[in-house]
Amino acid sequence: MVSEQPVLVLRDVSIAYDSPAGPVQAVSHVNLELMPNTIVGLIGESGSGKSTLATGIMRLLRGGAHLTHGEILIKGQNVYDMDAKTLRKFRWEAMSMVFQSAMTVLNPVMTVEQQMVDVFLAHRPGMSKAEALQKSYALLDLVRIARKHGKSYPHELSGGMKQRIVIAIALALDPALVIMDEPTTALDVVVQRSILEQIQDLQQERHFAVLFISHDFSLVAELASRVAIMYAGRFVEVTESGGLTVSDQDHHPYTQGLMRAIPRLTHEDVVIEGIPGHPPDLVTLPTGCAYHPRCPYAVPLCTVERPEPRDWQGRLIACHRFDPQKAGEFSHVS
Amino acid sequence: MSLEPLAAAPLVTVEHLVVRFPLRGGRQFIRPVDDVSFTIGSGEVLALVGESGSGKTTIGRTLLRILEPSFGRISVAGTDVSHIKGRELTAYRRQAQMIFQDPFASLNPVKTVENHLVFPIRKHQGGNKESVDQLIDDLLERVGLTPVNETRKKFPHELSGGQRQRLAIARALAVQPQFLVADEPISMLDVSIRAGILQLLGQLKRDFHLSFLYVTHDLASARYFGDRIMVLYAGKIMESAPSRDLIRNPLHPYTKLLLAATPGSSTRHRLPEKDNQPPDLSEARVGCPFAPRCLSATTECTNSMPPMTVVAPERSVACYHPDALISVKPLP
Ligand SMILES: Nc1ncnc2c1ncn2[C@@H]1O[C@H](COP(=O)(O)OP(=O)(O)O)[C@@H](O)[C@H]1O
Ligand SMILES: Nc1ncnc2c1ncn2[C@@H]1O[C@H](COP(=O)(O)OP(=O)(O)O)[C@@H](O)[C@H]1O
Ligand SMILES: [Mg+2]
Ligand SMILES: [Mg+2]
Repeated sequence: MVSEQPVLVLRDVSIAYDSPAGPVQAVSHVNLELMPNTIVGLIGESGSGKSTLATGIMRLLRGGAHLTHGEILIKGQNVYDMDAKTLRKFRWEAMSMVFQSAMTVLNPVMTVEQQMVDVFLAHRPGMSKAEALQKSYALLDLVRIARKHGKSYPHELSGGMKQRIVIAIALALDPALVIMDEPTTALDVVVQRSILEQIQDLQQERHFAVLFISHDFSLVAELASRVAIMYAGRFVEVTESGGLTVSDQDHHPYTQGLMRAIPRLTHEDVVIEGIPGHPPDLVTLPTGCAYHPRCPYAVPLCTVERPEPRDWQGRLIACHRFDPQKAGEFSHVS
Repeated sequence: MSLEPLAAAPLVTVEHLVVRFPLRGGRQFIRPVDDVSFTIGSGEVLALVGESGSGKTTIGRTLLRILEPSFGRISVAGTDVSHIKGRELTAYRRQAQMIFQDPFASLNPVKTVENHLVFPIRKHQGGNKESVDQLIDDLLERVGLTPVNETRKKFPHELSGGQRQRLAIARALAVQPQFLVADEPISMLDVSIRAGILQLLGQLKRDFHLSFLYVTHDLASARYFGDRIMVLYAGKIMESAPSRDLIRNPLHPYTKLLLAATPGSSTRHRLPEKDNQPPDLSEARVGCPFAPRCLSATTECTNSMPPMTVVAPERSVACYHPDALISVKPLP
């Protein structure tokens, strides 16, 4: 049975990097719930804090980053309250992560099957080597890689095969949550698509939840059921992905901007437009709403007061335009 | 400015182009470009699409004569440039310029913005300090690097990714070329920035009647910017068609596969392929390079390469079994 408890809960999560100039807030007050057997997408431009959040959930923060606020619960348990032993068990068994570069995970001097066997032996002390090998082969079958490639070293395999193996390893111990940080960004579209199909197939079998991180708007809109849109460390919108296929006014101005900025295969006569300016540097964040220097709707209020996310027709949107009490400020802009 | 009639002589004509590289050991060769022929009209954008390793960059570099063709012929504005050298080559490079994927790598970190432009401008048209200064201002204005007085003194590391690509474009324009090879010019940029660069390229095409070879792995941007799309697989052209027609009604099985895999194509069914082995580029291969992955392949396909066949005005395809041929709609 699939339990109806959320697999992942982010409650007001903030993460900062220590720097000589003071803390750099890479993730700010983020909230999210992820149910079993679902895919939630996380979209944002580079530097918006996606990977920091992902490694924060795994409690794998590096480079002076630490959780400064909030709670991260996996299957109801607080990841940051665990002792080292529980945490080690929790990683891989309850939650696992697929990184953009397969080589972050794969060891170049070990064969694929040795690495897979090691994962089993490390987490299943009673298991025999022969049994671990059998399980490794079953995993290769699962991601449709011929068993003979078990004897290969990573460099002997194509990028797509390596990424499939990383996904297989992430699924080895049947985790409830898999975080995928741009897992297909470096791959060709056909390989990307076949890997995504496979993730969906595997999910039908095993009911894990996926947090899927990408900067590819069309891809996430297609794959995920819900999507969080991140800008300068904050979720500016969390929405059902169905609404993202047509551009409309009922989105955060940044979401609207992104939707207008991408050429789409089937939208023949639509002229695309870039968003003016560029994503901000977290060290010198604009005051008020961080998006205001790029926003076509911005009014003086936006430069001084940061909008909080609020519910709007089933979406969470952090924008004063969507706040009935502030809407008057915008009456003169279209 | 009036549009050239379609029948006007193309600016770029490529005939049976082959580029071969020796494999380690030097006895065997790969052919990442294998008997490729196409034309690019004046003021036309030809989008070249294919997966990584299919030979797109090699075609672009050969067109600009950074590489020399092994066989075949390239002519630009009526001149055969296939094997030119020395002064002729230098002169040709003024007609044809390249914009690279990584703007940062193509810029000099210790040179200011204006110093990236002074040299090409001087070399191209000489001129006194005032006129060079004026041209720099015009170029920066043109590519949207404003306010001009501020940007002139900046170094590449002080620019954002999009601004760096704009500088690279300004530098390419400084010699007033007729023809640009843009090799994945937006794929390293942030999503919100890409549209602006594509818009800029489109504007330049219209204002200067520039021709483009637009190299990309993304069919959606190829459809958007390209007048025509040419699909490359393992160094061979599989299909070539006006952009709209190629997306609406793809003929080649590989084009269909690419389309089905592209996000936003709204295909819900399984990918139409039987294997996903990377292609064989070796010179010794026979048959259609896509045959091992193709659902329609027959022994004919594994025995010989289907010839490029014109199937409708401006449409050609290299396939023995383009099953959708029957449904080819006349061009509007
Ligand atoms: N080691 C570090 N030290 C200080 N700041 C960092 C470090 N790594 C990342 N950051 C900051 O965190 C922000 C978010 O980075 P990241 O999570 O990698 O973004 P994304 O994955 O969305 O591209 C970056 O804009 C950067 O300013
Ligand atoms: N100078 C070179 N020497 C040897 N092989 C090369 C050289 N340049 C490219 N190749 C090979 O040619 C093939 C096509 O490469 P490329 O033109 O860069 O493809 P694409 O741009 O479509 O990704 C690849 O297999 C690449 O390794
Ligand atoms: Mg990242
Ligand atoms: Mg290339």
